[in-house]
Amino acid sequence: MFMTPQTMGSETNIKLPFSFILFSILAIIVSQLLFLFHGEALINGQFRIPAIWSAAHLFILGWALMIAMGAMYQLVPVAFLTAIWNEKFGFIQFAVTGLGVTSFAITLYVAPHLALIPGLLMLLGILMFLFQMGMTLRKQTKPNILTLFVGTALICLFLTILLGITLVISMKTGFAGEFYPIIFKSHLLLGTAGWFTLLIFGFSYKMAPMFSLSHGYEMKVAKYVYGSYVAGLVFIIASFFLNQGNLQKVGFLLLLIGFSCFLWHIVTIIKKRIKKKLDRPFSFALLAILFGEIIHLLAFIAVMTNHFSSLVGPLMVACLMLWIALSIIGYLYKIVPFLWWTHKYSKIIGKADVPTMKDMINEKLALPLFIGFILGIGIVAFGLVWKVGLLFYIGQITVTIASIVFGMAILAVMKK
Amino acid sequence: MDVQNQSELLDKIRNNLKRVLDPELNLNVVDLGLIYDLSLVEERVAKITMTLTTPGCPLHDSIVSGVKYCVEEMEEIYRAEVQLVWEPAWSPDKMTEDGLRALGRL
Repeated sequence: MFMTPQTMGSETNIKLPFSFILFSILAIIVSQLLFLFHGEALINGQFRIPAIWSAAHLFILGWALMIAMGAMYQLVPVAFLTAIWNEKFGFIQFAVTGLGVTSFAITLYVAPHLALIPGLLMLLGILMFLFQMGMTLRKQTKPNILTLFVGTALICLFLTILLGITLVISMKTGFAGEFYPIIFKSHLLLGTAGWFTLLIFGFSYKMAPMFSLSHGYEMKVAKYVYGSYVAGLVFIIASFFLNQGNLQKVGFLLLLIGFSCFLWHIVTIIKKRIKKKLDRPFSFALLAILFGEIIHLLAFIAVMTNHFSSLVGPLMVACLMLWIALSIIGYLYKIVPFLWWTHKYSKIIGKADVPTMKDMINEKLALPLFIGFILGIGIVAFGLVWKVGLLFYIGQITVTIASIVFGMAILAVMKK
Repeated sequence: MDVQNQSELLDKIRNNLKRVLDPELNLNVVDLGLIYDLSLVEERVAKITMTLTTPGCPLHDSIVSGVKYCVEEMEEIYRAEVQLVWEPAWSPDKMTEDGLRALGRL
């Protein structure tokens, strides 16, 4: 029989992921309020104004990126069977990134031309995170396909940030001005499809079987998912630089094929589950994959019919909210109770009665919360496409309320 | 200890282990099929060979220490040695009928 030491020693100090998660709750609420207060600009299609930059970066960096970092501090030891390289460094990294993101969002709002210095602070925080993860993954004894997904996602994050900083420098000094639109498009693509999507793919391969107790499934398809999706990213970026429409079409087709393979693969994994009834938050994380598939299909159709430039805004909003954010919220609704339970009850399991994970978070709230979030986003997207202010405001108020309720549900776990 | 008493004690340990629940599945470690072997290696010393559903299970330490506490608190046992193994890997056919029923599979 193959044995392991009795203690793996790979558990992370709970304060580290929770620091990121608590920061992110504040960030999502403030970002949604900013979107709400600057709805007029969004309805008129003015996405590139300081207030919207600020809200978008607060949402993407302050919420999604900070949550992804916090979750990785917890999930990397679970998925890769290796402890975080240096926890103390993790806390310093949190402080630097948190300060960087906050000051960056504020500067973008009040004085975007001064955003370089806070941007560099944020860059330092993210580089520290990449270093931490690089050192941690290096310790993994048996790298696997998940390492490839997460490793490539981290490279995409690095490139996204590098391009983002180039944009700020370009805006300030005029450096590489003629490449500004190309860099901007590559920045968006690598941030959404490169970093977040590949990261969610990688961790879904660990979490989907874990939360459904699936067994006996094949992992062969994962390499086709990886190959097709990453090739798609390379083709699209090449199309930006070479200004080749056909390359772009091939790129979006490859993204669609990669995503479709991922959807199909997850369906086959879930079909092999032992746990018949899936939890609601996890079901919504799975629903996010279906939304992701629809968004990839619509993006491909838009590119093929030459409507992409007019639909890119609503498609980006849908991708960020219905694929990325819904996946994160769905998984977070599972991860946070897990973290808190381990912190509070793991020492007394077997000695006294302990609550189950379901007792840790209000699961009944999950259904109206997730439905409200999805409907809100749908209404916002239609409001933006048809340029109807009332629809936008109804949707955005719903999303803002859902974000506040979500934050409160997460905070309530810590009282259990 | 004679064979019959030993067998009764092992049954008692197995029953006691049903108090250790996987909090995610709300199912005990015995019905989940995580306990591979139970034996008495010495007078009042029990050895439990067990696995988890997946390597890297986040509840790794909680469940393993839960099993240890649960057995050591029995007055008939002085010490419990828990050995965690990954081979043979856990599979659903190791679950009991009660376990499968609890997860809606029977």
